[in-house]
Amino acid sequence: MTTTADMTEARGGGRLVVDGLEKHYRLDGAEVPVVKGVSFTIEPGTFTSLLGPSGCGKTTTLRCVAGLETSDGGVISLDGRVLSTGSEHVSPDKRDVGMVFQNYAIWPHMSVFANAVFPLQVSAGKLPKKQARQRAMEALELVQLDAYAHRPATALSGGQQQRLALARALAHRPRLLLLDEPLSNLDAKLRDTMRNELRSLQQRLGITALYVTHDQSEALSMSDRVAVMNGGRIVQEAAPKELYFAPADRFVADFVGRVNLIPAVVRDRDANGDALVEAFGTKLVTPCPAGSGTGAEVTVTIRPESVRWHEASVDRPNLLAARVARVEFLGEIVEYEAEIVHEQTTVGRIVARGAPMDSPAEGSSVFLELAPQACRVLAA
Amino acid sequence: MSRAERATRAGRTRPTTMTVATVVAGTVIFLLLAIPLAVQVITAFRGPFLPFGVSSARWSVDNFATLWGLREDFWAVLGSTAAFVGGSTVLSLLMAFGLAWITVRTDAPFRRVISLLVIVPFIVPPIVKAQAYLLMLSPESGVLNQLIHLVPGMADVTIDPYSFPTMIVIQSLTNVTFPFLMIVPILTGMDGSLEESARVSGAGWGQTLRRVTLPMLWPGLLGVTVLTFILGLGSLEVPLLFGQESGKSIFALKLWTLISAGAGELPQYGLAAAWGCVFLVITTIAFVIYLRATRDAERRASISGKGFRPTTMKLGGWRIPVLLAVVVFTMLTAVLPLFALFWSAITPYPLAFSFEALRTQTQFGAFGEVLADGEFWASLGRTLIIAGGSATIACGAATVLAYGIARARATGWTRSMDLFASSSVAIPAVIAGFAMFLTFMVINPVIPLAGTIAALVIAYSYRVSIAYRAGFSATLQIRKELEEAALISGASRLEGFRRIVAPLLAPTVFAVWIQMFILGTNEFTLPAFLATPESRPLSVYMYAMINPRSAQLYAPDQGAAMALIFTLLVFAIGYGLQWLVSLRAIGRASRRGRVVASATDALGAAAAAVEATDDPDATDTRSVATEQVRELSRR
Ligand SMILES: Nc1ncnc2c1ncn2[C@@H]1O[C@H](COP(=O)(O)OP(=O)(O)O)[C@@H](O)[C@H]1O
Ligand SMILES: [Mg+2]
Repeated sequence: MTTTADMTEARGGGRLVVDGLEKHYRLDGAEVPVVKGVSFTIEPGTFTSLLGPSGCGKTTTLRCVAGLETSDGGVISLDGRVLSTGSEHVSPDKRDVGMVFQNYAIWPHMSVFANAVFPLQVSAGKLPKKQARQRAMEALELVQLDAYAHRPATALSGGQQQRLALARALAHRPRLLLLDEPLSNLDAKLRDTMRNELRSLQQRLGITALYVTHDQSEALSMSDRVAVMNGGRIVQEAAPKELYFAPADRFVADFVGRVNLIPAVVRDRDANGDALVEAFGTKLVTPCPAGSGTGAEVTVTIRPESVRWHEASVDRPNLLAARVARVEFLGEIVEYEAEIVHEQTTVGRIVARGAPMDSPAEGSSVFLELAPQACRVLAA
Repeated sequence: MSRAERATRAGRTRPTTMTVATVVAGTVIFLLLAIPLAVQVITAFRGPFLPFGVSSARWSVDNFATLWGLREDFWAVLGSTAAFVGGSTVLSLLMAFGLAWITVRTDAPFRRVISLLVIVPFIVPPIVKAQAYLLMLSPESGVLNQLIHLVPGMADVTIDPYSFPTMIVIQSLTNVTFPFLMIVPILTGMDGSLEESARVSGAGWGQTLRRVTLPMLWPGLLGVTVLTFILGLGSLEVPLLFGQESGKSIFALKLWTLISAGAGELPQYGLAAAWGCVFLVITTIAFVIYLRATRDAERRASISGKGFRPTTMKLGGWRIPVLLAVVVFTMLTAVLPLFALFWSAITPYPLAFSFEALRTQTQFGAFGEVLADGEFWASLGRTLIIAGGSATIACGAATVLAYGIARARATGWTRSMDLFASSSVAIPAVIAGFAMFLTFMVINPVIPLAGTIAALVIAYSYRVSIAYRAGFSATLQIRKELEEAALISGASRLEGFRRIVAPLLAPTVFAVWIQMFILGTNEFTLPAFLATPESRPLSVYMYAMINPRSAQLYAPDQGAAMALIFTLLVFAIGYGLQWLVSLRAIGRASRRGRVVASATDALGAAAAAVEATDDPDATDTRSVATEQVRELSRR
């Protein structure tokens, strides 16, 4: 599509640097910090997600970048141009960003076309009429809404409104695209489709995107980088796989996917340099935790899908005797919960997942294998 | 107001154009309301006549002492005012609720026609309506008494127009439209799923009404009650025409007589101001109740969100009685009054209707005389200028202020300004008229406005709260993201306001403008205090024609003819404008694929516009609300 090429051409740059961002709200006379020193960098053309539980300050961070909220500290700059310091703020219309709002914010009194062409008619991005028209139509084509251009905007379905919001955010070819949970109002099927469309559009245009979500699967599937936020801070910033397999702490491990958190104590170190930790009254071999010596209390994590089960004892490390307490059929997988038995008493529980064809029976006694390379040790 | 706290302010130190506009609008409204009230309170404490510029003015509590000295009179006035205003408020509310229910919630035939018929009296100035009732009830020639005599066994029964109960009923009949217009959106806006979930939980119609519907509507209805009460307390028309003969002194009339001094005496402004102060305390209490009620109503509305429309009730065998009741109501409020006026216009002197009289006595000269009367055209012109001017000032200032406050960070300042701008509903028109009158007298040496058209424009604008409240809730309806999206798209604040906010607010503002315009053309109480023969609007000129005491102007047939012509004109102008608005609102809403509520009237248009701003969160809130009702009905 030539138009896509056109759209890509003029855009460029889009390196966002957020350094030590702070924001507090006044509530009943007290200053409540909401964003507490957030720093991250987005390289041009990449897709970065801010992931975190509801209320952790993602939207506030995004709105500070957009200029809709005035930050109280820290520096925001886009391609070297400073947008915000704690005291000086470039107003949102002069930041050269585009934004898709959670509830789309489609203007109900305008047609689809009027919505899309708006950014090209107002002061910051004003273009001659003909050119503005052409650009708006290009933007609508990008999201396959060109056939609907002259419909009233409110006659669109939820998914179409969402695409219109995207077209409007892209029409003036901003350096940076901001998205605040844009898929959360769509139904599950549509969400999956839109997720793919959004990602491929971003890659085709090569636009820099900052995406806010509380949905870990969205963040993991779409992003080049994911920054996990908790309580107004970024706790880990990494590529999706790294985040999943090497979470920096218990919070990230727990928030991104499901995980077993097993309290343990470091006992020794074996010949390979691996650690020997004691958990459930048993010695387990795990990768060596950085910086915690013998006697340190740690947490061993293992994903449910990494746990394997055996009917009888086999000669493998980290084998635990267990009784299957609950089996739950979830369709493509089966999840089961096993009670770990040590000297005839139950000492803990492990959740595991496997293929539906190959699952233990409820009530049966099994051996669970926590393969050393699948375990990760975190500070307690 | 947590959303408002998200107010975006780039370059915090520089006041934006919007801020300046808000402050200017706020100042205008503050001066408009605060100065007259202050002058009135000062007058109550400063002497018997004017508070400044006269030798008798000095600080004292003499006026309150006098009031206390005349306490028997005071209690009598308080008692009859309470009976008159309270009784008529209850009656009009019952009628208004019944009619609103019939038009919104039942399958009664001709519902659109009914709602139109209820609105028609709104266009007839109250002073004309009061006069029409006087004509209808005349013991010798009144058409209503004639009709009653036709009923078998009632030949000897004659309604006494000057009995106190008659007066209460008449007052209530003249004031049905206002509560009706306010109740209709409350009923339409109610979330149908709340009732449905009660029905599904096993409650019958009656139980649902009692346990879900009425409790849901209660705060809204309480608010309407208070407003109707204050409106009734402030209106002078019925007390003026009926009260003098009935011997009952109603507050509005009392205030009026206190300042219309007999020959050779100075009018007792100080005493009148003291009376006004006492009644202001009463209405302030009512206002506080109103504020709480509307806050509760808004809270409930925000829980239930915008659901789908409630189901209609099947009338079945009740259709006939219900229709009969509507017919009787329409006869009493529209058909007979207009007929009585028409009959009066075509007969040279009060004459009972008969076909004999119709053949021999009628003449149509009065209409021609009115149309040839230069003063008629002059006062009509003044009426339009005053009504249009005041509606424009009030809507302009109120909308700007409402937008500014609704979008500002909530502080003590914005909260008190919000309260203040809403407060004019608490001021009865008689008090406003009197306070404005005093103010223009006091400032006359410096700013000579007393008795001018400008003074009337300013005085009429005191009803600014209507526009303020409407503008405020309309602004809240516009989600903040719509403006933010404009900013992000590169629009300046002003561009965002012009291209996004203004078009979305416009239907509401226009609808309110029409409402205030019609109120203005009907206004009698304010000009009764303020107008001179050079500045009087048509309502006052008409009153002079039908009032036997205004010696040389007295011409009841011309007065009646004028009332009919005027009503027709207001109807044409008001309805034409409303029609334009509703057409636009309906057009827009149907383009957006939404079902629109009845848009036959200004409020309908506003409601349609509100409905048309769509809300994707509605489904969520609706299911939450449904859940809550299930929870309630389980208990
Ligand atoms: N205008 C406001 N005033 C006060 N507190 C706010 C305001 N907006 C957000 N907050 C608070 O800031 C925190 C972070 O909000 P937000 O950034 O919206 O979270 P999320 O990560 O869910 O997007 C929440 O605790 C919220 O209550
Ligand atoms: Mg959020």
